[in-house]
Amino acid sequence: MAAALAELAASLARASTWRLALRGLGRQPRRSGIVLAAIAIGLGSLVLAMALQYGLVAQMAETAIRAEIGDLQAHAAGWRDTAPLESRLREAPSLAALTGARTLSGYAPRLRGEGLAQSPRASVGVRVLGVDPSREPSVSTLATFVAEGEWLGAPRRILIGAGLARRLRAGVGDKVVIAVQDAAGDLTGEALRVAGVLNAPSRELDESVAILRLDDAQRLFGVSGEISELAFAARDRTGLEAARREISAALGAGARVETWRELEPLLDMMIALFDQMGWVIYAAIFIAMAFGIANVLLMSVLERTREIGVLLAIGMPPARMVAIVVAESAVLVALGVALGLALGFAAVFALRDGVDLSAWSEGMRAFGAPTKLVPVARRGDVWAPLGVAAVTALIASTWPALRAVRTRPAEALRRV
Amino acid sequence: MRTLAALGLVALTAAAAAAEDAKLEPPPAQPSAREVAERVEATFRGDASFLDATMIVKSPRLPEPRRVRFQSWDDRRGERSFIRILEPPKDHGAGFLKLPPNLWSWVPRVERTIRIPPSMMMQSWMGSDFTNDDLVRESSVLDDYEHRWLGVDPAYQGARAWVIEYVPRENAPVVWGRIVAWIDPVRLAPLRQEFYDEAGVKLRVMTLADFRAAGGRSYPHRWSMVPLDQPGHETQIEVNEIRFDEKFDDEIFTQRNLTRRE
Amino acid sequence: MPLIVRLAWRNIGRNKRRSVLTLAAAVFAVVLVVHMIALTTGMHERMIDDNVRMHAGHLQLTGAGYLEDRTLERFVSWTPRLAAALDATPGVAAAAPRLNGFALLSNGPASQGVALLGIDPAREGGVSTWPARVVRGSFLAGGARQILLGERLAAALRVDIGDQVLAYTVAYTLENAYELFTVSGVLRAPDPRLERSLALIALPDAQALFAYEGRVSEVAMIVQDVARLDATRVAVAAAVAPLGGDALDVNPWPVVLPELAQMLVIDNVQNYSMLGILVVVVAFGILNTILMSVLERQRELGVMLALGLAPRGIFQLVYVESLLLSGIGLALGLALALPAAAIMERNPIPIGGEIREMSEMFGVTPVITWQLSAWNPAIATLLMTTIALGAALYPAIKAASARPVDALRSL
Repeated sequence: MAAALAELAASLARASTWRLALRGLGRQPRRSGIVLAAIAIGLGSLVLAMALQYGLVAQMAETAIRAEIGDLQAHAAGWRDTAPLESRLREAPSLAALTGARTLSGYAPRLRGEGLAQSPRASVGVRVLGVDPSREPSVSTLATFVAEGEWLGAPRRILIGAGLARRLRAGVGDKVVIAVQDAAGDLTGEALRVAGVLNAPSRELDESVAILRLDDAQRLFGVSGEISELAFAARDRTGLEAARREISAALGAGARVETWRELEPLLDMMIALFDQMGWVIYAAIFIAMAFGIANVLLMSVLERTREIGVLLAIGMPPARMVAIVVAESAVLVALGVALGLALGFAAVFALRDGVDLSAWSEGMRAFGAPTKLVPVARRGDVWAPLGVAAVTALIASTWPALRAVRTRPAEALRRV
Repeated sequence: MRTLAALGLVALTAAAAAAEDAKLEPPPAQPSAREVAERVEATFRGDASFLDATMIVKSPRLPEPRRVRFQSWDDRRGERSFIRILEPPKDHGAGFLKLPPNLWSWVPRVERTIRIPPSMMMQSWMGSDFTNDDLVRESSVLDDYEHRWLGVDPAYQGARAWVIEYVPRENAPVVWGRIVAWIDPVRLAPLRQEFYDEAGVKLRVMTLADFRAAGGRSYPHRWSMVPLDQPGHETQIEVNEIRFDEKFDDEIFTQRNLTRRE
Repeated sequence: MPLIVRLAWRNIGRNKRRSVLTLAAAVFAVVLVVHMIALTTGMHERMIDDNVRMHAGHLQLTGAGYLEDRTLERFVSWTPRLAAALDATPGVAAAAPRLNGFALLSNGPASQGVALLGIDPAREGGVSTWPARVVRGSFLAGGARQILLGERLAAALRVDIGDQVLAYTVAYTLENAYELFTVSGVLRAPDPRLERSLALIALPDAQALFAYEGRVSEVAMIVQDVARLDATRVAVAAAVAPLGGDALDVNPWPVVLPELAQMLVIDNVQNYSMLGILVVVVAFGILNTILMSVLERQRELGVMLALGLAPRGIFQLVYVESLLLSGIGLALGLALALPAAAIMERNPIPIGGEIREMSEMFGVTPVITWQLSAWNPAIATLLMTTIALGAALYPAIKAASARPVDALRSL
């Protein structure tokens, strides 16, 4: 008997720690399964939660940036201190080369001015926005807001928001007169036909913007060939600084290039605030996940006090015992993490069309907040949950294992 | 008088076939609708005209109609005009000077001049159904519209009247769908103008009456503008005096004159 | 006490380690839920408060239909009787009358169209933060015909404190109205566009300018308890009814500020999704713990089955154990979390750095606030009960389905 035990101990000592760990796990499939599930569910949930949170923030930014602003804009230097029409620039031909490069995916010229939109029944002060109908869709989603009628095509057409249409009591095909003070200071005006009515994402765009073709706007304001701004769409929103440098170089000293963060600081702040609040929530789920993992590991190791006692009694070195237990946990964590990430990303993929929010938010579209919550998983987002899972698992298995090997064998045997 | 002409023209630049059309008789072969329109415009036109008039504004906001008496010097050739308010006493001495593209307003009580910016152009002028823009706009009734005979009204206020339709050209800066005008065939003066939107809804009616000889023409001395979509509103103008082809001193159209105290 | 409960209770006491772990999970879950809800509520209340105090107020009394066209036709007769009635309405903390007009402000050749607000300087501070936004000069302190300008507006008009500006507008009586005002102060508005187009004058001056004697466009109110907003709205409507109430509207802030209301709805959906995920994670943790304990006790359960306890009884036993543990966990959790949240509620955490500067610029108080509502412990209780009932189900079935022989052999 003693000889058999000694031989067992010797074979245990010879076998690799990992082999023993795997064998240990295989012997207790249910226990291993529970630990695995705890890690996988926790991690998967965290990946989904972070993707949902980032999805909302990203969508808020995307909605706002893509609605009209664009990722970057170039204006004539000093544009902030003047009326919209007073600072103008010209499109540089060298810009075209930039869209071919990696930085920009598109750019579009715009002319901005102020004017009055008039119908037989009302006249409303408006921002006049002249756009290039074919290039504008490469930087903004303006064209997608057309709810009735169509996007700009033929000359002398105008797009107005539903709110402005209501105030003017004008619909698709109706005549709207745009009266402006042109660049020379003269009062002038033109009649245009409503090409489309927008379901716009902001109150301002809905109630007080009139969009027309760039050439129509240039003729109306008497500024042939000149524009107020260039809006750019970057290929990668994280590389805006590089894009800014390239655009500045192409446009020369007279132009000022700014990113959406500088153009819309309030939006930037809101996003930062939401992002910060997101971390409070992640932290809660992190802790819950860590707790879940720690709990099951702790229980599974403590449950084995007796078994460990037996092994120690037959001569297993305590350090090796701890290593085996920790290796078991490490295998479980590795499997759990893989399973969890797979689960999380599968959930993100399953929800790729978004969770419809419209049930909770009647009439929300009128103000253009996202109506769908689309989770967006970032590669960088996996490291934090992964680290937390690994560290938790390590602590939650090392500590009880250490405790178990310190327990005297006799006492361990006595315990259930 | 430019002022009034401008007001009239802007009103013109404003509206669908009247129900009375059915009873119209066929139009005469001559003159053409365009010629009639030209003659009508000539009623108001004058290179330099002086006007003394009282504007009466009715509104549900007012227990009593408001009366504003003013004088205007209108130098069409110089594209400039000047208006001085005489009554009510509270506004006595106030003035408006139009030197395109600017419109200046003088407020004697606080002795300040204000430049009316483009954003205020559509505000009501002196509380009337006319806007600041109506004062300064270079309307061109003849260029902005196509003219068409509708026929002859055998009994407009007991007399025959020609009925002409003004249809804005596609790109003209005119909000109206069309304007129907009743014209006195003898005096070739406008009697009534109806302004329609493009859907054919009548929105404004302007009537001109009390024709008297002035400056070699027959000129309406009582005007009325009724915006049909604003119940209880009406603006009337009673002409006290009108003179055409005056010789104006350049001094009239200066800031110094605008800010002159009486 | 029924036998099952006594048995369950003894089991809990006997397996201290197991019980403590499960309990800890439950306590922890309750603490998380309470704080998460308190934080979200706190942040939302903060946002609502900051926003309504920028200008709008929690409730707005206006002429019927005013929000649609905002013309001078729709008015509220601001009488001492109305003021007294509003001040005496239960739930109303402050009420401030305002006249919302448009005017052209000019100084020499510089002119700018602005929103000209007539306010009652004594009452306005109770409702909005306008008095606190004055960066130079004073807030319409005494003296007639004083005006406060947005900083950018003052720059555009090239005036400073002590200078005069001319206000030009069309009065209610359709007359052209003019008045010279002396700049008494300069204020910063949360929105640069607003700062370029906003001027404040005293209500009597505004009423004189617009020929609007005894009338105002709106009365903005702050309520004592946001949770009782609707009750307060009803009370205000009842209080003004004898004073021409049928020609008046009482609108709560979500009607006046729909963008904010909508943003909060979205954030709530988001937060409840997160709470849902948290609940799943916590429930799973507890399920695992109970399942582990059931597996660990196979022999013991087998003995009980062999001794004749029906599987139903085993099922009940595991369930009652789980409910007892969750119940204790809930009680402990609330006992720990509620006082902590209450302390945090009184001691908001200031936010630092760049966000702080930004938020101050936009009129957002840069703090993280906890806010305990009556709903909070109720939601925590509901969630915990759901978790307990859900999490024990599978382990209990598992325990009850174990056959006595298997159970005995499994050791």
